[in-house]
Amino acid sequence: MIRVTRDEFDASALLEEARSGEEGAVVSFLGIVRNDGIDRMEVEAFEEVAEQELSRIREEAIAKFGVTRVDIIHRVGSLSVGDRIVLIVVGASHRKAAFLGCEYIIDRIKESVPIWKKEYTAGGSRWVPGEHE
Amino acid sequence: MRDQGENMLITVHIRAFARFRESFGDRFDVEVESPATVRSVMLEVGKRNGQGVRDLIDDGGNVKKSVIIMVNRERVTGEARDEHPVHGGDEVALYPPVAGG
Repeated sequence: MIRVTRDEFDASALLEEARSGEEGAVVSFLGIVRNDGIDRMEVEAFEEVAEQELSRIREEAIAKFGVTRVDIIHRVGSLSVGDRIVLIVVGASHRKAAFLGCEYIIDRIKESVPIWKKEYTAGGSRWVPGEHE
Repeated sequence: MRDQGENMLITVHIRAFARFRESFGDRFDVEVESPATVRSVMLEVGKRNGQGVRDLIDDGGNVKKSVIIMVNRERVTGEARDEHPVHGGDEVALYPPVAGG
């Protein structure tokens, strides 16, 4: 499942869903709004392109590492400290492929998926700088 | 459209995101002379705001590398990016480096 959504998601349920018995290893990554002295964060996406790009990244991970299950959910909208931003669930026959696939996917998301974050503090607001380009 | 013999004006649909959305608006149309390029479209977008051209175009007249461009939802990259053709009805998106995840 690939989804960019305004709605909160149930990470535990998604992880449990991945325990189908088809894969021997499931690795997940959960990105969370960190308390950097902020009140809240606004997450913005070019939603149509973001979903298309996430699907492309899923296909890359399958081709490179032989992973067999990939779910990616990314939130947009207003988030508070402690909220979930992104969940990646990767299943594979064995652990190594699942770990590598999961790390690859989060790195690629930070590199190319059109999503931005703006942090709001008591003193004002600031765009979070990208790590690439 | 202008008088015959002069270049035609075409309409290009713009989507802007993050700080460029704040500067220019999220969705709007611009009119540019045909044949149009990424550079001529960005110059027109920049005119919507007092600081706009400086935000998008460097001192050499080129679109800044920190401005990411999509034409019809495909990234336009490489040396010839500024000369990439834009046609009437195309969607041109501009955004800063991404910061998701």
